Amino acid sequence: MTFGSGAMTNSIAEIGEAQVILVSGSNTTETHPQIARRIYEGVDRGARLIVIDPRRTRLARHAHIHLQIRPGTDIPLLNGMMRCILDENLVDDLFVEMRTENFLALRDMLYRVDIAQCATLCGVDEEQLRLAARSYARAQRSVICYCLGVTQHVCGTANVRSYANLAMLTGHVEQEFTGVDPLRGQSNVQGACDMGALPGVLSGYQPVSDPSVRARFERAWRVELPTTPGLTVLDMTHGDGSSDDAGVRALYVMGENPALSDPDLGRVRATLAGLDFLVVADLFLTETARLADVVFPAASFAEKSGTITNSERRVQLMRQAIDPVGSSWPDHRIIIELSRRLGYAMNYQSPAEIMEEICMLTPIYGGMYHDRLDNGEGLQWPCPDRRHGSTQYLHKYSFTRGRGRFEPAGHVPPAEAAEEEFPYILVTGRVYHQYHTGTMTRRSDLANREYSRPLIEVHPDDARKLHLRSGLAARVVSRRGSCVFTVRVSERVAAGHLFATFHFAEAPVNLLTGSASDPVARCPEYKVCAVRIEREA
Amino acid sequence: MHRTLILQKDHLLPLLRKLRKDNRVIAPVRNRFGDTFFTEIEDFDNAAIDLDQQPQTSLKSFFLPQSETLCRYVTGKHPESGALEYSFHAQVPVRTPTVYFGVRSCDLFAVMYTDLVFRRARERDIYYDRRRSDAVFISIGCARPFADCFCNATRSGPFLDMGFDLQLTDLGDRWFVQIGRPRGVRLIEEWPAFFTLASEADRKAQFQVELEARGLFRRHVHVDLAVKLLQEQPDHAAVFAELSRRCQDCGGCAYICPTCICFNIADLRLDEDGGERVRTWDACTFAGFTRMTGDCNPVDGETGRVRKRFLHKLLHDVQKHGRPSCVGCGRCVNMCFGGVDIIRCIEMLAAEGENGSGGRW
Ligand code: SF4
Repeated sequence: MTFGSGAMTNSIAEIGEAQVILVSGSNTTETHPQIARRIYEGVDRGARLIVIDPRRTRLARHAHIHLQIRPGTDIPLLNGMMRCILDENLVDDLFVEMRTENFLALRDMLYRVDIAQCATLCGVDEEQLRLAARSYARAQRSVICYCLGVTQHVCGTANVRSYANLAMLTGHVEQEFTGVDPLRGQSNVQGACDMGALPGVLSGYQPVSDPSVRARFERAWRVELPTTPGLTVLDMTHGDGSSDDAGVRALYVMGENPALSDPDLGRVRATLAGLDFLVVADLFLTETARLADVVFPAASFAEKSGTITNSERRVQLMRQAIDPVGSSWPDHRIIIELSRRLGYAMNYQSPAEIMEEICMLTPIYGGMYHDRLDNGEGLQWPCPDRRHGSTQYLHKYSFTRGRGRFEPAGHVPPAEAAEEEFPYILVTGRVYHQYHTGTMTRRSDLANREYSRPLIEVHPDDARKLHLRSGLAARVVSRRGSCVFTVRVSERVAAGHLFATFHFAEAPVNLLTGSASDPVARCPEYKVCAVRIEREA
Repeated sequence: MHRTLILQKDHLLPLLRKLRKDNRVIAPVRNRFGDTFFTEIEDFDNAAIDLDQQPQTSLKSFFLPQSETLCRYVTGKHPESGALEYSFHAQVPVRTPTVYFGVRSCDLFAVMYTDLVFRRARERDIYYDRRRSDAVFISIGCARPFADCFCNATRSGPFLDMGFDLQLTDLGDRWFVQIGRPRGVRLIEEWPAFFTLASEADRKAQFQVELEARGLFRRHVHVDLAVKLLQEQPDHAAVFAELSRRCQDCGGCAYICPTCICFNIADLRLDEDGGERVRTWDACTFAGFTRMTGDCNPVDGETGRVRKRFLHKLLHDVQKHGRPSCVGCGRCVNMCFGGVDIIRCIEMLAAEGENGSGGRW
């Protein structure tokens, strides 16, 4: 949106060559170990590591500067850093002049920013903030990696824009070893977005609202396409369940478990229960599948062929290793059969044939034919045609949208603040040995042994105040619900904050979280919710 | 009978084809993605036997699979008392004569080590034993060690004096063959046409290759020094604290290691009437490896775990078996994303021994 495309601008290996690595809102060693490998590599080569995170993660312990901000204060922190860069003449004037637009708006906004105030608001030391700004700006090769700690806020989009502002202000984009890199989560979440599993776009981020785009797809599919964007997940799962014409009446869920993973679960469950018809395709009978009218047993990655696109835009071929277990089918076969019975005969003999259609209709995937991907390492998009190779980093000579646009942003407080009745801030996230709602990992004996119970991390000072010890049961209550966790006293969280994961159906933390979300991306604020915690008898 | 023979390179494949008649043949094979693994060869015309790369995994999983069903169990009711009753049905593997071809010295040495644990005297692990019993090892002395190899320092290569049935040395157009254990003798007796006697010149050439190989190691790892330092005092708190800071508890080092053989046994319920008792690889670097009921853990969550693994390799096995159980294959070096591998550990210990201060990354 600021640069014009939503993916990692660089390649993973480049991180190891950077001089300054700024990691924000990412518990990289637990959630992206292979990227952590490159970060360690960089640090061993002498790179400075700056970590922005409310938690003292393992990576934060290795950081030269750890800015342990209050959750949801990325924007004031970045504005403070940018003001410092402005004051100390560390702006890359040439880059700003040649490659960007709207700089004056940013500058005017920054002139109204007070660094000391920002530091106080974020809860960090002013001098550390300045130090971070200086080292990021001064180095020739600085890279930013961010993850869900940045996006899962009511101001997620503005957060991302602010990181982009910082990178553009200092000219740290469009070159090797620099850039702004979102670390994508599930193995193919990048691919799902690329394929248009977003409400407003068809594959390759081509807007539904563009008639010429629609025309191309309509010719290929010989149907008329809707002209308006669809609903976001949040809109689907947080309907009121009533049967008025605006509400969703039927849902087909593939490999998702909203009955555990979506915020404000009470509402999600009511919506799912109120549907006329629910279909779920998954490997196991998940919490969501249990509510379904029809369940399709789906094949796992090992039982099917296709492609997976990772964080660095690399499309890789995945080949079937074993026959589908039981009566499961690969997803594409389920969809084809379903479509046939609904009266639209899809006719694809193989995933390779489907990919040919993707190549035809998706410019950034134009040359991604299966036979070409069969080279051991795949190809990075954009790859417009067969003659085109991999693209290592984006925005080489110009941003996708022409000039990069500065989008100044002011502080947006989280939807909920700590207050008398709910004095603690709960941050949710993940741990190494579990994966998402545990559909797979909770069925693995060893992974489950390593992290077997829903834990809540409590800072030692708070634990003392609340008379909590590790191992005790504690009830955590928010405006929307309550769950019981086992206490783990830990200095990984700051005083006043709590941390829990969403892996466990026994303590579905999303009963507590709210559904306030970013107005643009509609990504919910999983990272901040006000709660109280009390000892459970 | 002479202990040294010559096998012409042209005759290797024909020999393996013969052996295939009564055995499974397992050798390093490069797959279509360029990765080399020990693989059973069924079709000799289309298998790319690869002796130029180190197989990515060792032989461990052939004898101790990553996951194996030990028995099935069925639950029922006792006919009289009505109490819940279990009946177990063991799933013991069948003995399958197998030739392991192209095994490097370190990997073979590792099998000798795991034998110590699983096949000692009467305390035999029947599952391991069944898989291991009819194995024939045709090993290859390493003329050119790989990038992270240090078997010279662990004295488990590049060539072995024992343990193999046949050990081959590459002499350009021919293999120099040393005969080890009785199965090797039998193999030669069964297929004499493939072998000719080695000459004095062949023996000299072999000696030369072995000598040169020792000079070709790129890594100089002071295993003996580390063992000595640990024997003097096993604490080295600073070194282990520093190493543990980067250990994320993934178990990769133990899974890839040919001599890490800790396992876990768990009952996997499959339906209402029963399930399976499954043995899977485990790792001492997992916190859950030693955690007890009530969350009590005698090994601390961070440093203790990591220390345990390195002490086992470099100190406890020296005390028990007289030598470290690291065989210097170097596989853990690239496995760990944090770089917490045995070479790093040894280097840090040595550095600490030298300057007295805690090792730094
Ligand atoms: S510790 Fe590392 S080098 Fe030693 S045998 Fe195990 S994997 Fe190989």
